[in-house]
Amino acid sequence: MKVLLVDDSGTMRSIQRRCLNKLGVEDVAEAEDGVQALQLFDAGAFDVVLTDWNMPNMDGLTLLQEIRRRNREIPIVMITTEAERSRVVQAIQFGVSDYLVKPFTPDGLREKLDKWMQVSRQ
Amino acid sequence: MQEAPVITPAALTAEYVNPLISATRDVFEMMLDCTPVRTGLRLKQSGETSDEVTAVIGISGRAKGTIVLGMSSEMACEILRRMVGTIAHSVTDEVCDAVGEVTNMIAGSAKSQLAKYELSISLPNVITGNGLQMHFPSNVSPMIVEFSSDLGPLSIEVGFTEI
Repeated sequence: MKVLLVDDSGTMRSIQRRCLNKLGVEDVAEAEDGVQALQLFDAGAFDVVLTDWNMPNMDGLTLLQEIRRRNREIPIVMITTEAERSRVVQAIQFGVSDYLVKPFTPDGLREKLDKWMQVSRQ
Repeated sequence: MQEAPVITPAALTAEYVNPLISATRDVFEMMLDCTPVRTGLRLKQSGETSDEVTAVIGISGRAKGTIVLGMSSEMACEILRRMVGTIAHSVTDEVCDAVGEVTNMIAGSAKSQLAKYELSISLPNVITGNGLQMHFPSNVSPMIVEFSSDLGPLSIEVGFTEI
């Protein structure tokens, strides 16, 4: 199980990495923006992508489109403050698999990540 | 066809206050396991801030505004500890990142409650050092919302201007 974790905040990457570790996922690559993430994605075989929306250089929505051009199957979960219905609809139209709004509770994050780790393992 | 009502910057600032208060409570409860209590709401007068850590985030869209969070360095360090478990004795880059992310979540959560203005938020900037003068445009009437919490006092300045 290999996860690509994309967020410009080191704090958010830490929280998500710790949650993934508790779920037994140790192979986690981190990127600070969409550009870095795409370089890592092209170089490695990932099972799940977790991405923020608002980031410098390349935002999460553009990253989502770029990854979907390359791979239509991989689960991509957006973890973001963008909670308006229009934004969620936009992300769905571009092929996001699931969506978690910040702020989240520890249980909310764990449930969401656990769901996609299980889907990916099947 | 009815024209959309004109809303003044002062009215918009006031309209943003309640979403800001509920967003602050949600972010603190979910991310920091702490319930902040609103202790004051007033118009901002000019003057220096005594806060040691200040986070600024811009809002744009069908309205343009700024949100400024102010807190002590001890509170900023405690925010990092509660979010990721890292202990910091001074305001490091990690502390600033955690404060910036909290600010981002508060601004983002508040804006989602005002979807009709189609707002976007900027990436947060965090400034350290007290004695700062935060200047809003002259036609803006910024408000200050004050909170107390287990982590210490928190102030949030908000002001909107027409575009």
